[in-house]
Amino acid sequence: MKSREQEYREIFLAEALEAYDAMSQHISVLEKKPDDEAALHELFRLMHNLKANARAMGFAEVGELAHRMETIFGLIRSKERAFSGSLVPVMFDGVDTMGSMIRAVNENQPFPDVSTLLENLDRLVSGEELQVETAVVVPSDEDANRKLELSDLVYIQIKKLDHLLNLVGELIIDRDRVLTLSQEIGDPALANVAAHLSRLADDLQYSVMDARLVGVGTLFNKFPRVVRDVATAEQKEVELSISGQDIQIDRNILQIITDALLHLVRNAIGHGMETPAERRKAGKTPEGHLSLSAQTERDDVLIRISDDGRGIDVEAVRRKAVQRGQVSAEVASRLSEGEVYALLFEAGFSTADQVTEISGRGVGLDVVKLAIDSLGGQVRVESRLGEGTTFTLVLPTSIAVKGALLFELEEHSYALPLMHTDSVVSLWPEHLNIVGGMLLAEIQGENVPVVSLRELLSDTDDTLVPASKDTLVGRQDIIITNYNSRKLGLIVDRFLRQQDIVIKPVSQPLDMIDLFGGVTLLGSGQVCLVLDVPALTRLFLARRP
Amino acid sequence: MTEQTPAPEKKTSRPEAPIQLIVFRLGNEEYGIRIEQVKEVTITPEVARMPKTPPFVKGIANLRGDIIAIIDLEERFKLRPAGQKLPDHSFTLAIEARDYTIGIVVREVPQPLSILASAIEKAPEFIQDLNVHDKYIEGIARTEGRIIIVLDMLKLLTPEEIMQLKPKPASSGTAERKQA
Repeated sequence: MKSREQEYREIFLAEALEAYDAMSQHISVLEKKPDDEAALHELFRLMHNLKANARAMGFAEVGELAHRMETIFGLIRSKERAFSGSLVPVMFDGVDTMGSMIRAVNENQPFPDVSTLLENLDRLVSGEELQVETAVVVPSDEDANRKLELSDLVYIQIKKLDHLLNLVGELIIDRDRVLTLSQEIGDPALANVAAHLSRLADDLQYSVMDARLVGVGTLFNKFPRVVRDVATAEQKEVELSISGQDIQIDRNILQIITDALLHLVRNAIGHGMETPAERRKAGKTPEGHLSLSAQTERDDVLIRISDDGRGIDVEAVRRKAVQRGQVSAEVASRLSEGEVYALLFEAGFSTADQVTEISGRGVGLDVVKLAIDSLGGQVRVESRLGEGTTFTLVLPTSIAVKGALLFELEEHSYALPLMHTDSVVSLWPEHLNIVGGMLLAEIQGENVPVVSLRELLSDTDDTLVPASKDTLVGRQDIIITNYNSRKLGLIVDRFLRQQDIVIKPVSQPLDMIDLFGGVTLLGSGQVCLVLDVPALTRLFLARRP
Repeated sequence: MTEQTPAPEKKTSRPEAPIQLIVFRLGNEEYGIRIEQVKEVTITPEVARMPKTPPFVKGIANLRGDIIAIIDLEERFKLRPAGQKLPDHSFTLAIEARDYTIGIVVREVPQPLSILASAIEKAPEFIQDLNVHDKYIEGIARTEGRIIIVLDMLKLLTPEEIMQLKPKPASSGTAERKQA
């Protein structure tokens, strides 16, 4: 298997070659129509991207050339220069040279000498008009006999990969059915074929999942710029460190957390970090440290955003929550640290008194929470007053397969993602207490509200009927769910088993009901609804007696 | 049987082009859907009831890998005596609505029928006698002594139509989510 580095190199080359082709095309357009804004804009963008990619890959010379050409296209764009005169042949030469350099990278050859070209470009930047003689470059034989190259990489729309993944999901479901059938029939030849099919389906599933993986770095590498801009606007000094860029994650997951990560980073700088003066007073270095890191833990990917700022003031959050009427003063004083942090994720919560341009515009951490919920992930918060805050996003590596607990309710199978399952218990009614019309179970020293899932899912939206023990007969199978530090016990008819499931979205128009995160098909062909714990928890809070 | 009229300017507006309908029975009446809107007819697959949906939404089913909602129009329009259930073996018409496919359960095998466009009356004056609200009706077709109510499925199968009969599950956090 190829190393990641080799893979990155190939990706760079493919993109660079494509950029080069596009540049050749756009610059020809520009030659005919020097005021073509679209072509100019594209050239600027292509140069800019190529510069960044080349520098990241360590091809400084390519970066230098691209940087100068970007500058000139920038000047043309701002109407300080015109695409005319001696500038034209020099720019053409620049694009051609770029092509030779990319080819040199591909063939592991030394770069051509570009000092004259760079010099010419520098003189153009400084506003000199070059002598036409020095600028004209005679196309060499090499240019005329240029080979046409096709890239080793194929660009593919993520939509097509999504489709492929869906098909694989179907296949996995059918594989389970075939395996079930072959066990029932008991024919050895059939069992052999079924086992082989099963291995193939597994391989295919992992290959498709692998094809969708990208390095976390593709997102992280956008942050130095973001941090710089936010820090400048907030008048703070921030040093960013990034690690774990090579950790692989599904591209769509990365896409979904982009805004959340952006939000957390802005928050960290806007609210978390103190100003240099405050930091000095607190005995810290004037520049704040922010770190973005990724690591894998079992099947999950952990993304951490850590700052060494002022930390979360638990008391201030309590006061704010009471002030906002989220909880009563009495309840607030009893909340644990974890429960207080959970309040931060409620809609519209912000402890920052002043609204700054970058953060605190009323959209709060609830946006982060929603994004992570939609992936079936978790957000963890650790903070020490005066020392800093760490947000940890626990994400699945792939969206395709999730561990789930299967159970039965009214003769139908349901699944509950393990990510939100705390534990399962079977309790006799005498081990449940009733407080204020609500069932409570003591789980590991903690009082957890318990509700009959059948009641909770009933068609009305009225307040639940106060619980009574008379309705509970025999041992009760209870699943303890955990969402945002809020535990809730659900009484179900029967536990079935734990299983990896492929979740399919609920099709329109039933997707309006957010109680279900999706559906899955069981080996028996049965349709099984996957419950969404965040929505169930909200439903319970709204209906509790 | 098509009368030869002088060719009109536009080919598409030829008045006597036949229309293909899929005809099925709901209650004691015959209903039709234009064949273009019907994706397939199949024996009703196993349906899983989905909590928090209106009663006429029978649930969801797996139709060749697509998970689709299955609805019962007899129940929707109260065309079946209360208490009477669907038979064990029924058929499902998979209908292409605007953005999704939806299944409609019917008791008997639906039949194709070819009629002339002119056989569909746009102004159904006796509509008050019908159980189905006129806004879902494209017209009434009379042919060989039969009366077929042609439904406008696109209007009938909008998300609002399917979900509205029930108050929004406000407590389930839908509203909260939308705001965020």
